[in-house]
Amino acid sequence: MSNRVILDPTSEKKFTSRELLARPTGLSGQTIGLLDISKARGDIFLNQLESRLTAAGAKVLRFRKPTFTKPAPVDLRHEIATKCTLVIEALAD
Amino acid sequence: MHDIADLETRGVPAMFIASDAFVVAADSQSKALGFPSLQRVFVPHPIQDRTDDEMSALADSAYDSIVAAITKN
Amino acid sequence: MTQIKNPLRDGWTLIVKRECATCVMVVPVIARLVRELPSLTVYTQDDPKFPDGIVSISDADLSASWHADIDTVPTLIFREKGIETKRTVGWLRSEWRELTGIADLGSELPEFRPGCGSMSVDPDVIDKLRVRFGSAVLHSRQIEFASAEDEFEAMFSRGLTDGLPVVPPTPERVMRMLSGTSRLPQEVVAIAPPDLVELTIEKIAINAVMAGCLPEYLPWVIAAVEAICTDEYNIHGVLATTMPVGPVIVCNGPGTRAIGMNSGVNVLGQGNRANLTIGRAVQLIIRNVGGGRPNEVDRASHGHPGKLSFCFAEDETNSPFTSLAVARGFDASQNTVTVFTGEGPRCVVDQLAREPEALAQTLAACLRTVHHPKLPFAFDALLVVSPEHARVFAQANWNRERVLQEIHARLQMAGSEIVRGAGGMAEGVQEAFKDATLPKFRPGGLLLVHAGGVAGLFSSIIGGWVSGSTGSDPVTKLVTA
Repeated sequence: MSNRVILDPTSEKKFTSRELLARPTGLSGQTIGLLDISKARGDIFLNQLESRLTAAGAKVLRFRKPTFTKPAPVDLRHEIATKCTLVIEALAD
Repeated sequence: MHDIADLETRGVPAMFIASDAFVVAADSQSKALGFPSLQRVFVPHPIQDRTDDEMSALADSAYDSIVAAITKN
Repeated sequence: MTQIKNPLRDGWTLIVKRECATCVMVVPVIARLVRELPSLTVYTQDDPKFPDGIVSISDADLSASWHADIDTVPTLIFREKGIETKRTVGWLRSEWRELTGIADLGSELPEFRPGCGSMSVDPDVIDKLRVRFGSAVLHSRQIEFASAEDEFEAMFSRGLTDGLPVVPPTPERVMRMLSGTSRLPQEVVAIAPPDLVELTIEKIAINAVMAGCLPEYLPWVIAAVEAICTDEYNIHGVLATTMPVGPVIVCNGPGTRAIGMNSGVNVLGQGNRANLTIGRAVQLIIRNVGGGRPNEVDRASHGHPGKLSFCFAEDETNSPFTSLAVARGFDASQNTVTVFTGEGPRCVVDQLAREPEALAQTLAACLRTVHHPKLPFAFDALLVVSPEHARVFAQANWNRERVLQEIHARLQMAGSEIVRGAGGMAEGVQEAFKDATLPKFRPGGLLLVHAGGVAGLFSSIIGGWVSGSTGSDPVTKLVTA
């Protein structure tokens, strides 16, 4: 039996797929985590983003995951989530 | 995609930048996570053989889209 | 099962299949009926060329068979003005002769031969047929998962679970669940708090699938949900309290045995599918349809593990007492659910009492401490008396009413002991009550149920919540098919 379609068990007042979190109106005062996936040259890209974001009034924190081949370790994700208000992950190719 | 889906679950708006070689994979991965709206921006392939100046220029050209993915219009 | 459209016409209809020795045997009879009856439509379930030499309509998709409720072939039907007036199944010569009025029909055949199972009731096929022909009755929005999405993870990530995996409610599973009730899917059973949403049989069935229920459990889930959505039960209040309480479902009646509920060893624990999934379905409905979720409307400071599921059957077979349902005005032959608002169970040990008075004293002493030893009249409680403890009472011929009376009599508390500050405890009643005598429980505030394994001189207390207009009152509902 296929499990691809299910019937909605809720009151159907909300959407069926996940919704994005609300975003802030601007960058100033935000703490932005830049997560480097550790592929070559990504750090150069992130360096430029960091200077632009800082100039726009945000605080920037840099993080690096040990390998691009797997999701980030849970401790790193937890650390990022506790320290940052927004996150940018880069740069996959 | 998994990392940013997880960060959204933890309450932090997140987005992902990849080269445009990743467009289809990103689409199918985000759908596989039940989260097709995950925010992403693509920059032109290739990446590996660009000079430092070219990489900075790529970041500049993508900057507005990146900001749009983490702020509200 | 709601029928959408019956494709059978007026006049005679015959449904057969080649893979049926009886159908093959009656081919000469069919040929004669084609010649002699005013109109005869023949449907063939398998080989469209059968019967040989006779014009037939292929019912390969089984729609005619399904809508005409065929479980045996051959079946011969007569309809007049859209209503079926005659039907015979298999080959019984006397019936075929009587129905058709052809006195010498089938004289060359034996008198009787049983029919074969219709393809439309083949267990391998029936789920698909239910969906194909019946699912127009389903109104819920469909959620489609991407081909690479794991359906169990998908249920978690969409916030549809109680923290444990759920069974994905596909249309096939929901249609199968709906076969457990004769009530129609769009019937509104209740208005579900806190979001005040119309709760239909269909939504209940979807969540019952997720909980892992069998179709025969569905009427019990429906009755429990009806009880919970009453003003008297006040599920909104039960959710919003910071106290740890949640619904506790006590099931009574012969139906509890029919569906295999547990009323014995480990009755309040894990392991029994009916107990666990009925309780769980009710909680999933509260959460998914009503909108009552932890950290949103559900503000419980601690909660308790039974908020996942808390449902059990009273042991009526071996009980010296009348059942809870009978005490609440129902007949012992009826199936009921009683929903009580309670916390996790707490054990009462008494391995020495031989006399009923002594056991009543123990129970009273332990009941006195429900939520706080110095708070009278405030909270209800449910006492689950084990068979071994019940025997102490039975040997003295104490019935249910006597037991409760004797416990209440031992729970009259002296105001001086329970005023605020007394015993070094700040909690208690106001000074004005210091000369009064106050009962621990309001009249009717202590419920009694007989359940548990046959070995164990222990009973259990399930502390309740406040009653009345600001609280929750126990509610009993009949279980209907």
